[in-house]
Amino acid sequence: MIEKTVQCPKCHTTLICTGEPGEVVKVKCSNCGTLGKVTFKTPIPSDEIAIEVSNLKKVYGDLVAVDGISFYVKKGEVFAFLGPNGAGKTTTVEMIESIRVPTAGSIKILGKDIKTSFNDVKEKIGILPQEFHSYERLTVRETLMYFSKLYEKRADVDQILQMMDLTDHKKMLYRNLSGGLKQRVGVAISLVNDPEIVFLDEPTTGLDPKARREVWNVISGLKKRGKTVFLTTHYMEEAEHLADHITIIHKGKIIAEGSLDELTKKYGTGAVLHVNKCSNSDTAKILKERGFSATSEGNGNISVKIDYKERVLEVLSELRRACVDYESIEIRHSNLEEVFLNLTGAKLSEETP
Amino acid sequence: MKPRIIITDFVASMKGWLRSRGTIFWSIVFPVMLILIFGAIFSGSDNPTYTLSIQDLDNSEFSQNYTQMLENITVLDVQKIPRDIDINDYIKENDLRGALVIPEGFGDKILESFYNKNVTVNLSFYYDPSDQGATSVVRSIIGSSLQEFNLRIANGKHIIGMDQVSTITSKFKYIDFFIPGMIGFTIMQLCIYGSIERNTKYRKDGILRKLQTTPITRTEWILSKMLFMLFLSFFSTSIAVIVGILAWNVVITINIWMIAIIIGNSFLFSGIGMLIGRFVKEEETADTAAGAITFPMMFLAGTFFPLDQMPQFLQDFARILPLYYVNEGLRNSMINLDYEKAIFYTGIVLIFAGIFFIAGVLLTKWKED
Repeated sequence: MIEKTVQCPKCHTTLICTGEPGEVVKVKCSNCGTLGKVTFKTPIPSDEIAIEVSNLKKVYGDLVAVDGISFYVKKGEVFAFLGPNGAGKTTTVEMIESIRVPTAGSIKILGKDIKTSFNDVKEKIGILPQEFHSYERLTVRETLMYFSKLYEKRADVDQILQMMDLTDHKKMLYRNLSGGLKQRVGVAISLVNDPEIVFLDEPTTGLDPKARREVWNVISGLKKRGKTVFLTTHYMEEAEHLADHITIIHKGKIIAEGSLDELTKKYGTGAVLHVNKCSNSDTAKILKERGFSATSEGNGNISVKIDYKERVLEVLSELRRACVDYESIEIRHSNLEEVFLNLTGAKLSEETP
Repeated sequence: MKPRIIITDFVASMKGWLRSRGTIFWSIVFPVMLILIFGAIFSGSDNPTYTLSIQDLDNSEFSQNYTQMLENITVLDVQKIPRDIDINDYIKENDLRGALVIPEGFGDKILESFYNKNVTVNLSFYYDPSDQGATSVVRSIIGSSLQEFNLRIANGKHIIGMDQVSTITSKFKYIDFFIPGMIGFTIMQLCIYGSIERNTKYRKDGILRKLQTTPITRTEWILSKMLFMLFLSFFSTSIAVIVGILAWNVVITINIWMIAIIIGNSFLFSGIGMLIGRFVKEEETADTAAGAITFPMMFLAGTFFPLDQMPQFLQDFARILPLYYVNEGLRNSMINLDYEKAIFYTGIVLIFAGIFFIAGVLLTKWKED
């Protein structure tokens, strides 16, 4: 029997329910009566887990920065820890990296409790801290050599330079690099010991779109090489683009987790067809009468929820039958922004300065 | 403890230092510059010369003999003023600080004095009251020369004389005082600011966070940095000593006490730097805090000027400053060769070093709260 703590998506009341692995249990919120389902996932074998966090808590005086969170990261996946600034992302990742001391809870990396065995774990992880800047007066190659020599197990520095597309810059002093190149060097540093797990704490913050793309390519490359990547970010498109599994943290608590598909299906509104500049102002009403979930958005624009892809053709056929002309159509899928909005009532981008 | 890791970090520090113009300036160029400048300013102070203008209105054998006597005094540069010029105008026009006028009838009055004991004759000394230092020296020389001249005229002889015996090394010059102070001061600057950079800039840049997730331990890191600071300290000391010897012929003795003080000095001010870095997180603020500590010490701990030239309350204050004991220890071990004092000051420096370094190490944290 597994005990699970869940939060009502409507009133955020915390509920405790129990179930067997693989079981789906119906739950009714004791506060607002909302009905929901809780899935008790079949536990994955411990040798497939890279990181396991249980009831992790961090308190600063009266402030609860991280409020008893639990999650795990599977080996070989890109795990995105998504949340606005101040949500508790960096505090969590720094506790996992043993930089901060947790108030309560336990953390296991590759099956070892970091409280007692972090020194054993150090050789197997690579870390890019948030806003990291390396030694200014070492060249790129010297920087990698410096960090490489701290480890017993070392990857070939020249190969890393090549992989990160840094070979042409290897003789440049770190201080003379652009922001994007510095981040690439930061990621390269985290690979000098050929780690099994790579922690990247907001690796693209402050970078221009081109540099951000470059870092994304590097992270995709890491996944292809079988590395487990723990990525913290407040950019939803970054998580959407890179992550196999996304965990959303808000005000120190995990509010949702799953793959992008799972999250958008569960918390998003699905796909929506937008029909722009309709010739008839009652178009939404007409479609509603014919069984479509349509909403008027003003200025002749309407949106229709699409449950399956053929539904698009059905909507367009109905419009033709009703002699409604339109200027353009657009299909928008649910994204993490919408998921976050539905879960918290606020936009992720608005909460992230 | 892995020597490989310590050497790796030491080599990285070395490369960073060699590529930083700022640190090269403060560790090499600045002390050399000060030694050369201060050495040049005070290099003549052992054999100063004073200009004395003389107008001989008498032009007798006596006045010529007296003028000749003044000319033979090595510290005086005697310049003669023509007889037909008004002395006041001449002083103003030539901006003279001192002039001696031998009056007309000087020789006759001396001759007359052989018969009449009541006869005296006075020379006139014109001086600039704003230049008290030089004036008092010249006046004292003239006084002594007149005594000697009176003695010669009276056919007298010297019965009581004075032997001068220096209580310090054979030739103790200002530069001998200055070089140990400069060594102490340079090491203080290097260690405090180096320590602050490591504890504030590295923290801000995430280097400390990164390092604690790698196999390097805090002990290995601190040890490596201290080895590097010791290297810098001895390197700067060597440069100062070599420049002192080559440029100013300073006689320096290298001994165990000097080495112990340099090591103690490095640990002492690295410890103070760590403490500043622990409590003042911002790099700029930490630099200001370091300046607030080092700047008064630079002037009050006897780096540039001997302590006994200061008012008593400042002398008392200086004795609570660690740099004072470093400077005095270095002077007594390197220059004065007073080993009893050198041991005393070395002991105090090592006690200071122990307290501050241990406190710094204990309070320096890698882990965040």
